[in-house]
Amino acid sequence: MKALLVVFIGVSVSCKKGFKELNTNPNTSEHVLPQNLLAPALVETVSANMRRSQNLTNELMQVTVNMGDTDGKIFRYDIRKNVADYLWNSWYRQLTNFKDIYTFAEEINSSDENTKGYMGISLVCQSWVYSMLTDTYGDVPYFNSNKAKEGIMMPAFDKQKDIYLDIFDKLEQANQLLKEGTNILATSDPVYGGNVANWRKFSNSLYLRLLLRVSAKGEVAEFAMAKIKEIVDEKPGEYPIINSNAESAILRWTGVAPYNSPFATWKPADWYNPKTASFFVDRLVDWGDPRLAKWVTLSEGEYAGVESGYAEGTAPRARSYMPTALQSEPLLGNIMNFAEVQFILAEAASREWITAMIPSFYYQSGITNAIALWGFTASPEYLNNGEFVWDDDYSLEQKLEMIHQQKYYALFFTDVQSWLEYRRTGHPVLPKGAGLKNNKVMPARLNYPIYVQATNGDNYAKAVAAQGPDEIYTQVWWQKP
Amino acid sequence: MNIFLKKAQESCCGADTELKFEVHVPIFGYYKCFKISFLVFFILSLIVLNLEVSAQNKDETLSVQGYVVDASTQQPLVGVRIEDIQKKTLSVTDVKGFYSLKVKKGTRGFFRFIGYEVLSYQFNDASANLVISMIPSTTEIDEVVVTALGIERQEKTLGYSTTTVKGEDLTDALSNNWTDALSGKVAGLNLVRSNAGPTGSNSIILRGEKDLQGDNEALIVVDGVIINGGSGRATASGSNNYAGADETPVDYGTGLNDINPEDIESVTVLKGPGAAALYGYRGANGAIMITTKSGRPNQKGIGITVNSNTSIEAVNRWPDIQYEYGQGLDGADYYSFGNTVDGTSTRSTSSAWGPKFEGQYFFQYDPVTHTQAKERTPWVPYEGNTRAFFDVGKTFTNTVTLDGGSERTRARFSATNVTNSWIIPNTGYDRNTVALSLNSKPTSKIEVIAKVNYTNKKSDNLPSSGYNNQTIMYWNIFWQPNASLDWLKEYWIPGQENRKASYPYSSQPDNPYLIAYEMLNKGNRHGMTGNVSAKYLFTPDLSVTVRTAMDFSYDHRSQQRPYDTERFKKGMYRTQNIFSQELNSDFMIQYKREISPDFKMSASLGGSSQRNNYIKDELRADSLLYPGVFTLANSAGVLNPLPYRASRAINSFYGLVTAGYRDYLFADFSARQDWSSVLASPTSDANVAIPIYSSLNLSAVISEMFVMPKNINYLKWRGSVAKVGSGSSTPYRTSLTYTPNPLYPGGALSNPTVLPNEGLLPLSTISYETGIDIQFFRNRLGLDVTYYDGKTYDQILETTVDWASGMGKAVVNAGMVQNKGVEIALNGTPIKVNKGLTWSINATFSANKNTVVELTDSLSQLMLQNGPGSRGGVMATIGGSMGDLYGRGYVRSPDGQVVYENGYPLISNDLMYIGNTTPRWKASLMNQFKYKQFAMNFLFDAQFGAVAYSLTQAVMTEQGKTKNTLPGRYNGLIGKGVMLAPDGSYIPNTVIAEDIWTYHNAHSGRDNIEGSTYSTDFIKFREAKIDYTLTAAQAKRLGLQRAKIGVYGRNLLIFSDWPAFDPEFGALSGTEILKGYEIAQFPSTRTFGINLTVGF
Repeated sequence: MKALLVVFIGVSVSCKKGFKELNTNPNTSEHVLPQNLLAPALVETVSANMRRSQNLTNELMQVTVNMGDTDGKIFRYDIRKNVADYLWNSWYRQLTNFKDIYTFAEEINSSDENTKGYMGISLVCQSWVYSMLTDTYGDVPYFNSNKAKEGIMMPAFDKQKDIYLDIFDKLEQANQLLKEGTNILATSDPVYGGNVANWRKFSNSLYLRLLLRVSAKGEVAEFAMAKIKEIVDEKPGEYPIINSNAESAILRWTGVAPYNSPFATWKPADWYNPKTASFFVDRLVDWGDPRLAKWVTLSEGEYAGVESGYAEGTAPRARSYMPTALQSEPLLGNIMNFAEVQFILAEAASREWITAMIPSFYYQSGITNAIALWGFTASPEYLNNGEFVWDDDYSLEQKLEMIHQQKYYALFFTDVQSWLEYRRTGHPVLPKGAGLKNNKVMPARLNYPIYVQATNGDNYAKAVAAQGPDEIYTQVWWQKP
Repeated sequence: MNIFLKKAQESCCGADTELKFEVHVPIFGYYKCFKISFLVFFILSLIVLNLEVSAQNKDETLSVQGYVVDASTQQPLVGVRIEDIQKKTLSVTDVKGFYSLKVKKGTRGFFRFIGYEVLSYQFNDASANLVISMIPSTTEIDEVVVTALGIERQEKTLGYSTTTVKGEDLTDALSNNWTDALSGKVAGLNLVRSNAGPTGSNSIILRGEKDLQGDNEALIVVDGVIINGGSGRATASGSNNYAGADETPVDYGTGLNDINPEDIESVTVLKGPGAAALYGYRGANGAIMITTKSGRPNQKGIGITVNSNTSIEAVNRWPDIQYEYGQGLDGADYYSFGNTVDGTSTRSTSSAWGPKFEGQYFFQYDPVTHTQAKERTPWVPYEGNTRAFFDVGKTFTNTVTLDGGSERTRARFSATNVTNSWIIPNTGYDRNTVALSLNSKPTSKIEVIAKVNYTNKKSDNLPSSGYNNQTIMYWNIFWQPNASLDWLKEYWIPGQENRKASYPYSSQPDNPYLIAYEMLNKGNRHGMTGNVSAKYLFTPDLSVTVRTAMDFSYDHRSQQRPYDTERFKKGMYRTQNIFSQELNSDFMIQYKREISPDFKMSASLGGSSQRNNYIKDELRADSLLYPGVFTLANSAGVLNPLPYRASRAINSFYGLVTAGYRDYLFADFSARQDWSSVLASPTSDANVAIPIYSSLNLSAVISEMFVMPKNINYLKWRGSVAKVGSGSSTPYRTSLTYTPNPLYPGGALSNPTVLPNEGLLPLSTISYETGIDIQFFRNRLGLDVTYYDGKTYDQILETTVDWASGMGKAVVNAGMVQNKGVEIALNGTPIKVNKGLTWSINATFSANKNTVVELTDSLSQLMLQNGPGSRGGVMATIGGSMGDLYGRGYVRSPDGQVVYENGYPLISNDLMYIGNTTPRWKASLMNQFKYKQFAMNFLFDAQFGAVAYSLTQAVMTEQGKTKNTLPGRYNGLIGKGVMLAPDGSYIPNTVIAEDIWTYHNAHSGRDNIEGSTYSTDFIKFREAKIDYTLTAAQAKRLGLQRAKIGVYGRNLLIFSDWPAFDPEFGALSGTEILKGYEIAQFPSTRTFGINLTVGF
């Protein structure tokens, strides 16, 4: 019996020996540096943007038509509620990584090690992702979001205005940090290869994009206009912006893992399911745009789009689609390119907020560079095409239509930007098919993911009470008159 | 145990009823419960004693003498005990079967002999030669059952329900997965089959699913060794089973499938936590105890047995395919392979909404040139062109067994070879198993048992399952009625072998012959399980057993895809090396003692230590430099490494005390404490001790306590209460760490998507069960009924949280699921003629009700499983049950009619409850006939009350492939239902649906979950077998000891409304077998086999 007791005691004492080590995960890392987090977060964000660009933005903006008569066809402004989940989840997921970059960089930053570059990039990326979030959904969790690690599982929703103002603050800080920061590790940065000066240019360009977006909103219009003027006219040295295609923020897919386009692994059959829309194709055909062959396949010897928004049961014949070469196209990883910046400036100049250059300069530069980005040259014939010739006597609406027709193509596969720009300006003017739902009005937002009602119900209810019904027709703050 | 019983029976049960003892087991702190259980004994025994006193009142004494003989052989029976009602022994028969006794007139005597039915006789007259014939028992009430931890106990002492299936019931009608043979033989057992090929896994679920997200499978215990975490681990590769995933799952089978059924002595099913509480860890799900054969002491040297089994299987059921209309979209009235003078090409569609077969001529595919035919050819259907792809599967199983031994040592050796070719060409496997078992008693005090089992399973190709261009069943859906299967046999374009695949139509599927012969999934697994145990008997009453068991395997797998497959245009080659090991060491001290002649008790105390290691190294080359070369060196890009390691440990300490009062009241009490490493965090081990859990089981053989009506031979009541905790088997959920992505240069990490829980606690199950076991009419009719009710709470859940928090899920302890149900087993022997026909019937019935009582605080519903393409899902809602299927369904008018708009049915936008996917009840009926040397066995089983979504049927409907799409071609149909009138009221639908493809798609296409969901009720003719056993004399003439030949069939008939292949299915997704959604299932098969056993 003594032996028995000895065994008992032995077992009791050693019953949990080594368990702490045993349940320490050998597959993952407890330790992390800012440079570890950046590249995958950028890749995942851009990939998510491209996926929804393909099946949401392209459908709404008549780039493609995913033909069919079942419901949930986005080209008919019929958006199933579950469409909302993907971007919400993807964007917030990457914000956790982007925010960690700042936290860890700040911990390390010292006189020995300058990590201000990472801190600045973190703020730029946060601003970029939060702006897409709020522009897509309206009021969203911001100040208390991404704090699960601190125990906040149900973050409150914040007003879009407050979010925008804070983003502007962040971009000011980023501009300063990126000015002081040294270049970061090239391998950690698939966008600029570690060049912090280029990040600074992207930061200020993004600032312009967002200032322009709220510039029609009375409460902040004055500030936005003044700030744009400050950046462009008054302190261009303090606020460098993207000034060439080479400085564009593009995650160029190299085709070498992990830098494979998210479409690269798609079955071709899935890729050419949506057909190109006539709105998208016809202009390129009319203009003799050199990008056409890269973007649209020939159908029976011609580039032929289908009418978007057709009524159920009146399907036109499927024609051209996007070439499978685009599935691995490096340029689809666009975040913000030079041409977009030029078109932003063209609009600001047309509205007479800035005077550094005349509107037509920016406009022509936008067109030339948008085409140059794709490896073509805009021929004189192209630029002298009557449609493109700028006339300062045109009405603002005419000018905006000219600018935004071009900007629409410059934003090809750029997250949800062309949809946002349409919501803001109504340009380019899209034809409206007989089959459109949502009272034939372009959806103004995506609904919040359904599951948020269950997982963050109280805050959801407050947000809906403040903003309006959780439907795609409810306008967000900057869109409301 | 028998010694005790004997003493108890001989002792008189007069006044010594004072029960003055207490058992202290301070280590468990549970002696209070003990006291209570003995108090129950005490009270019950007093009642019994009173009854017995009142029964004794006759005066006259009779003298009776005679013989006791076997009713069938008339041979004398030696050692038959004759007792009175108080268990006082009146006499015992001698070597001639003679007995002599003196009793008071009217006394009822009970003749008892092991292996015979108890015979009751009232002594009313004196007699000098009263011959009593005893009938051998068919139902072995005193059967010894292997219970948890391998402790052998008599069935009557158990307070919980068990079912034992004998080895021969598993081998006589062999299936590819021997666990199939448990179907219909065990009430309360539910097999969920992956059906994913020749090595398809089954998961075994007892008494309903309990854990919302964790493991619900029963514990698998082989010779006392738990194999779930080792060789029993599910080992599928691939991921999602629905379009889009780069690889769909391949089922590599589990170690459970690989157990050679020929080596199985018996399988005991411990259904509830009460029975399995001693296993603690995952005992909540019940346990399947497999005992393998040991050597038998042989009369003459070594016994050699050869068993040979040959079976063939073929598809037994097929969807209703239409061969009236051919390829085409939207009712096209012509066909053209490529653009021709007839019109633009219609070759690319997957649909068969095209022209009717009316003997017309079109430009079609030319299989010789692999392109458009120059001349028009007749437009004809090729009936059976998909079914013809499937072969007859063949399985050859040959086993040689050697066994024998002396009184001290017994040994058994067996070698088995299995060769299988499956119904899909070029698939199958080979398996070789060697098993050795040694039992030795070098002295009377030591017993050593060693068992070793080595298995090699090798396959050159296993089929990919699911709905994806790489699977045969995907092609099966997409192939066209106007196309011949022969057109596909030349699967490379001539001259472009290994580079350019030939497939004439839609680029969605790949050529099935390319899939079968070039898209290979290989596996080669070496598994070794073994255990050594030694038992030392200090005294006959005190023993110590120590045992060490090792279960490990090394598995090498690869998947290869050639150039020009739809998903991998530049080919693919992936390999996995998997090392899995589980080490269990345990000891047990067993002590038994007779407290008084009426009270016996025993105590077992033990401890165990379990270590589990798993290493999986995967390398991926997702494009290849040279076509047709499948090596990692041929990778066109950077190899993608995906390493994974997991370790965990559990230390345990447990005790079991059993007590028996006389021969009819039994109680046992067990307690166990586990320390589980998965509850530790890198910084704390405060939570690793799972609170002590325990079980109390009671059994009362009422028929031994009271005088029963004449026709009741046996009546036992049992009851059990048990609480079991579990720490789950998933490690690393207690600390936040970053996930690496090795493809990024310079090292890349990302935040996890699941917020860990540093304070993770174990989940708990509490369960009650009660039941009776009753035998009537000289044991010709028996009934066993069990009712159980169990709750599993504090579950370890990954609950969905708002991603705005920065995490998608969080690990929490929450949720409660209740299962309650009834299990009934009935056995009867309607006909029993000496030396003639015996007809016996075994029937089972089980019903289970599963209720989700609680979920997490923030959720009113929890998605357990997403439907294909997120079309609905299996969702747990409070008050619902775990198998509830939700999805979009018909919009209905207030009176429940389908609402139509423009002639087409409207489908709801919101998810609605469609039905439950877990059968409400299951039943089986087995008839056995024995006549002389013939034995016949017929098993039917059935399930009712569940539904499932059929993707096969839904897609075939969308594509116009099935007969349900014929009505309305092409004059339109008026759907039965209502439509909205301008005034807002509902009026009968009168609008003709002209686009018949839209109409059928809306009704039964993928998006209408309700319309694509069908009943899975079935009745199956599961097994039939006929055996002929040679008599000893016949065998001897052939120079054999014994010989048996049998023929059998499995899954002979299926009666069901299920539209696809088999209503009984699971869908493999990752390593899980999911229910409720049929995702391009493989055909089910009907098996015929012949079985020959010869003993030398």
